[in-house]
Amino acid sequence: MIIAEVSALIWLVQWIADKKGLSMQRRWSVTVMSGFLIAAASVAHSADAPCAKPSTGNGEVRAVIAAIQGLEKMLSAEQTKSLERPFVRDSAIRWSNLPVGIVPREGLRLGDLDEKQVHAMRGVAAAALSACGLKMLDDIRIADTFLKAVDERKIGWDGGNYYMSILGTPSERTPWMLQIGGHHIAYNFTFNGSREGATPLFFGTEPIHFNAADVDYEPLVAQSAAMSKLAQALAKQADAKLSGTFTDVVKGVVVIPVAGKMPTGGTDTGFPQTYPTGTTDRGIQYRVLSPAQQALVRAAIESYASLPGAAITRGLVAAYEATSALAETYVGYSGAPDLSTEHSYVRIDGPRIWMELVVQKAVADPTALHYHALWRDKQSDYGGEISH
Amino acid sequence: MNARAASMLALLCATGSGLAVAHSAPNSFVKLSFLAQSVRAEMLVPESELAIATAAEGASEPIATYLLRHLAAETPQGVAWKVEVRSFSHTTYLEHAYLSAQVEFTPPAGAQAGAFVLLDDAVTHEVRNHVVVVLARAAAKPALLGALQYPARRLTIQRPVQK
Repeated sequence: MIIAEVSALIWLVQWIADKKGLSMQRRWSVTVMSGFLIAAASVAHSADAPCAKPSTGNGEVRAVIAAIQGLEKMLSAEQTKSLERPFVRDSAIRWSNLPVGIVPREGLRLGDLDEKQVHAMRGVAAAALSACGLKMLDDIRIADTFLKAVDERKIGWDGGNYYMSILGTPSERTPWMLQIGGHHIAYNFTFNGSREGATPLFFGTEPIHFNAADVDYEPLVAQSAAMSKLAQALAKQADAKLSGTFTDVVKGVVVIPVAGKMPTGGTDTGFPQTYPTGTTDRGIQYRVLSPAQQALVRAAIESYASLPGAAITRGLVAAYEATSALAETYVGYSGAPDLSTEHSYVRIDGPRIWMELVVQKAVADPTALHYHALWRDKQSDYGGEISH
Repeated sequence: MNARAASMLALLCATGSGLAVAHSAPNSFVKLSFLAQSVRAEMLVPESELAIATAAEGASEPIATYLLRHLAAETPQGVAWKVEVRSFSHTTYLEHAYLSAQVEFTPPAGAQAGAFVLLDDAVTHEVRNHVVVVLARAAAKPALLGALQYPARRLTIQRPVQK
C-alpha cells in the first residue's frame, strides 16, 4: 500500500513539475516532503478506526515540548525565527480558511523542510494530535497537492503551503500556543491556558473524496458521516430545521476588499464572536431527543473533539457532555440531511460548544462540492488567553 | 461607467489575473463617506448571496425597491433618515461578482450627519453566515465601524474622529 501511494505521489509531483518547469533539485525536495507525507498517511489508513490508536504524545504538553525541542535542533537560525512568534492576539488570530494566495500565513513552511526536518515536524504534530487528527492533516495536505494539478490558478493549492508556529515559549506551566495550518486546516492549541485550549479548530476539504493512483481519500469522512447521521435522524422533527440558507460556516473569517490592493482580514479578526441566545432558531434541544438521537449528538461531538490529542480535549468533552450542558445544547440542520447538496448545514450549539459543518460549491471544480467545518468553544478559544 | 466602477475594474485587472478567492461565500461591504449634510455609501453586495436572499422572498421587484425595503437609517432616537439609491453598477472583486449601489442617507432637519443607526438585512435576512462589514472611507486605510450578521440588523454608526 505504501509503495503504491508513494509511486502515485511521485507520478503526481513529476506531472506537476513538468507543467511548472521545476528544476531537478526542486522536484526532489517536493517529492521527498510529499512522499514522507503520503507514506505516513498510509500507515494511518491501515487502522480500521481512524482514532482507535493514540498518537505518539496524545497531546501531553511534555511530549509536545520534547518534540519541539527535537525539531528546533534540526532547523537553521532563520527557520527557527520563522517558527517562533509572540503569543499575542495578532499572532493567535492569524489562521484562515482561505488559501495562502489570499491570506499569506506566517510560520515555518512545511514545504521547505528537508527529509529529517519533515520527520521532526511530524513528531511535533504526532505529539499534539490524535492519530485521527494527524491523518486528517496529512489527507488535507494531499488534497491540496491533488488540486494543484487540476487548477492552475495561483490560489496556493499545495500540500507544502502548510505552516507550523510556536507562539510564546513552550513551557509546562505558562501559556503558549502551537499552530499548524494552511488552506483547509487550522489547529490552534493553547497549552497551560486559563481554560482548555483546543480551539478555534477549522477544517475542510476539497475534493470531498478523491483517488490518487488507486488510493482513495476522504479526509472528513468521520466528521461528515457523524454530522450527516445526526441530521438524518432529526429530519422528521420540524424543530430541528434551521431557518435561512448557509453558504459557509457562520463563525468563520471575513476578508475586506481594499481598492487597488490585496484584501485585508481573512483571519479571526471577529474574535470574540457573539452566539445565538434564547430558544429561537437554534434547532432542537438535546433533552427532547430519543436516546438513539442523543447518542448521535455525542458521536458527532466526539468526531470533532477526537482530532487533537486526548490530553487537550479530555476536559472539553467532559464539559460538553455533562448532563447540565447537554440539557442546554441545541442541534439543527438546513438543506439536505445527507449533505448531498450545496448549502447543506449541520450545527451543534451548546453553552460552550459550537460545531458546524457546511457543504459548499467546490472552487477548483465548480460542478463538485466541498466541506468547511468549524469547532469553537464559546468560553475557551485560545485557551481563554486572548482578549479583544 | 462611474469612477468607482472604473476603479473596481482596474482592481480586477490588477488582482484577478490568475488569482481567485477560494471561498464560496463573499460578504457585503458598506463604505461610508461622511459629508456635511449627508452620508454617502457605496454598498458592495455579492450577487450570488443577493440572489439567494431575493429568491427566498420570491422578490421580482426592481433591485432599488428591494434594497429600500431592507435598508434604512434613523437617528439614535428612532427618527427615519431619507434614503435614496442613486445608481447601480456591476463589478468584480477577486472573481466574485458584486452589485455596487451608490446610496445617499440624509438626516432629518436638526439631526447630526455624524451619528445614526444603519439598518441593513438585504442579504442577512436569509443567508445566515453572511456578514455586512461597515467601513468609513479614509485617505489611508478604511476604518472598520462594525459588522452585521443575522439576527442583528441594526448598527450604531459614529463618525470616526479624524486623526
